[in-house]
Amino acid sequence: MKMKSIWIVALVFLGAIASGCISGGGGTQTSSATVQLTGDFTKDAVSIGKVLEQKGINEVKFSAWGSGDPNSVMRVYGIVEAARRINRIWQKNGVKVKIVVTETHYVASFQDAYKEYLSKQPLGQAGDFFVNSYAFLPTLADEGYILDITDYAKAYQSVINDFYPSLIDASKFKGRLYGLPQDTEARPLYIRKDVAAKIGFNLNGLDEKVKNGEFTWSDVYYWAKKAKESGAAEWGLIHRKGSAHPDLIQFIFAFGGKLYDPNTGKLVVDVPAVYKWLYVEWKFARDGLLPEDIMSWDWAKQIHPTIVEGKTLFDIGGTWYWTEWQTKQYYHGRGLKPEEVKKWFYYTLFPAGEKGDKPVTLSQPFVWMINSKAGQQNPKYDELKNIYHELAFLMLIKASDPDINAIHSVISAHLPVRKEAAKLIKDEKWLNDLKNLNLDLDPTVKDNIKDIVKATVNPINAQFLANVSYMLEYTHLAPAHPKYPALADIFKEAVDKVLRNEMTPKDAVDYIIQKVKADPELAKNVEITGEIPKNWKFPQQ
Amino acid sequence: MNKDRLTTLSFFLSPMIVMVLLFYLVPLVMTVYISFTQMRNWNVSKYLTEFVGFYNYHRLFYMFQHDPTFKAVLLTTVVFVAITLVINVFGGLTLALATFFIDERPASAFRLLWLLPRMSPIAVYSLVWYYFFHGSEIGTLNSILMKLGVISQPIPWGQIVPWGAWSIIIFVNGLVGVSFGMIVFTSALNQIPKELVIAARVDGASSWQISRRILIPMVKWHFMYVLTWQFLSLLTTYPHLFLLVQWDLVNGDYGTTLALYVFNTAFGMGEQDQGLAAAAAVLLSIIGIIGGFVTLKVLQFEKMMKRPRGDF
Repeated sequence: MKMKSIWIVALVFLGAIASGCISGGGGTQTSSATVQLTGDFTKDAVSIGKVLEQKGINEVKFSAWGSGDPNSVMRVYGIVEAARRINRIWQKNGVKVKIVVTETHYVASFQDAYKEYLSKQPLGQAGDFFVNSYAFLPTLADEGYILDITDYAKAYQSVINDFYPSLIDASKFKGRLYGLPQDTEARPLYIRKDVAAKIGFNLNGLDEKVKNGEFTWSDVYYWAKKAKESGAAEWGLIHRKGSAHPDLIQFIFAFGGKLYDPNTGKLVVDVPAVYKWLYVEWKFARDGLLPEDIMSWDWAKQIHPTIVEGKTLFDIGGTWYWTEWQTKQYYHGRGLKPEEVKKWFYYTLFPAGEKGDKPVTLSQPFVWMINSKAGQQNPKYDELKNIYHELAFLMLIKASDPDINAIHSVISAHLPVRKEAAKLIKDEKWLNDLKNLNLDLDPTVKDNIKDIVKATVNPINAQFLANVSYMLEYTHLAPAHPKYPALADIFKEAVDKVLRNEMTPKDAVDYIIQKVKADPELAKNVEITGEIPKNWKFPQQ
Repeated sequence: MNKDRLTTLSFFLSPMIVMVLLFYLVPLVMTVYISFTQMRNWNVSKYLTEFVGFYNYHRLFYMFQHDPTFKAVLLTTVVFVAITLVINVFGGLTLALATFFIDERPASAFRLLWLLPRMSPIAVYSLVWYYFFHGSEIGTLNSILMKLGVISQPIPWGQIVPWGAWSIIIFVNGLVGVSFGMIVFTSALNQIPKELVIAARVDGASSWQISRRILIPMVKWHFMYVLTWQFLSLLTTYPHLFLLVQWDLVNGDYGTTLALYVFNTAFGMGEQDQGLAAAAAVLLSIIGIIGGFVTLKVLQFEKMMKRPRGDF
């Protein structure tokens, strides 16, 4: 009996140690020094630097975590550059403190980056700066993993006002600001000009027709069919795959549907719109216009080469494709030249589903967020926590400098998030300086972006960005709801099944509803609205 | 048991007891505990004390009951575990026996070759088979068959349900698992006194007869160990399957086993739901324990554990 008790005590003790290790300990609360931010950047930076200096700190370490396509490395090097700019202010003002960005962790998959952050943040092992899709912001904010910067931002309202308002809204959770927008994008419908010419498809003024809702998905079907049947192209349409890339939900919006109800805070399965989406996919696949196995296609060996080699008339892609095609070897083992991209590809909004609907595009803004434990690897963290947080906020403000944002936009073909940055990308002299890297940038940053700059900076790409900027007026955002990824997975499975003809569009809608209802947690968070439309036809005359 | 004996026993057993406690018992207790909480997004401090009773179990059973793909998952689990287990155990035994009868140097080289799948990083190894079985003309298998004129159109191997998808996941995992049995059986065969084999040879026994009458009966307990171990291992394995499904090489429904379904349910759909994952892990553990117990019973494990009949 005594032995039994000892075992139980030992077990509880070990359990307590193990759970203590996981939670990482709470730490004791001490009053933390702070500086009242004024909105005068130099003054605020110097004040913070002096507090640090007085407390005997001469080096502040931060780490930056980012993710995305190979051309978007400014998502982490923007932080490096911000550190250099603040260091220079300190140097000029005799503050003997230096910021060192110890780690620039950049991975391709933004979902993997998010998962890594989520698992390491509670252990205090995540980056101090974290840039990722706004879609993850609500969860991170709700769990207390990122810093609420609302109060800091009040002093910098002039900077905040320069961001596009919809993007600032996307950086909020329950009315509080948790990050600053880093980039956004649009998802154009690309049309291969040479294929269009072969089938007599006149592209002049097409973007206006799309804007007015005159050119709909029935027209896309008509021309896709013509391209295929005439032998001008192997396929009529190619689109992206997977559930992480929300491109295909544009169909829901294009058919006048919705995915989120702001009144209830729930996700929505808009049955009529979803049915029409799946029907269009099914019809394209049955008529051989869209590969029925597209969801299994390989990105680098199939999807992109098919587009850049002119084997499809239409492609649903993203603005970043424009430079990705130039830097990656998709075209017979080489990248396209900017002139070739311009010569071969027309772009327009995602057309309206049918007459009476509106054209759309979709954005998934990336947001710079600050770890709620930012600065913890530095000395006297408990005492200087607020100072480290304020400094981190100033770094975000600096990293959002128009030129840093504009550099990122030009080299990655993402859209600028600030109006000042949008002006800069139209400035030929500035573009020329960027092309020659004749800009005041940190040597590490220059070194890391020089190849991308060489491949992407030119007037054609800058003009492209300027030309597609109008699309943001038509943009929709994928719902920033913790349960959305689960719903997106179900949508992806349904699309795959209709493409492969394993299900009819009607069966696929039933499948989606059944899957949603199978998980009580998902069912609680999703509304199912409307019914499958009767006598609906596609294509329409 | 006197005190001295207890002290001696405790001294020698303590390292193992501590290890078992730390790495088996504590995690098990914690898993059961977490399964009754609302733990998610790794937020231990926030959710560790938020009890939800049997909600996570209820949610799981509800999903099992209503998810239209769950039947395919169950069927896939049974087929995958059963066939891969046979391949792993008998494949390992066959390889061990085959290399037993040849010179040590080529035998070692041959065995090393079979260890490659296990030594390769999971992502690299899966990628090899991804490109090999890819359902389009970029797939190596399709490409070869098309060049030979056997087929005119590429075959989407992994999307032919159910057997296309099953064949790929069984093949890929079978190759990984076969080396485990091979090593265990090889070491067991090497422990058999050589005199028995030599005597049999002198009596004119063929390799097959030696294998059947001498070697296999003498590795019976190792056979049981490999069978049980591999059974439990296959029941809970998912990394290769995860990648093959994630890359859309194999059909999602018929490429997903219970272990992968549990992983996807808990971690794969955006939210990191550790409470639900823990409940699912407890269920898997129960299935594993029952399965392991049945295997040991059928193979008469207790006979092996009997005290030797001689003095000791």
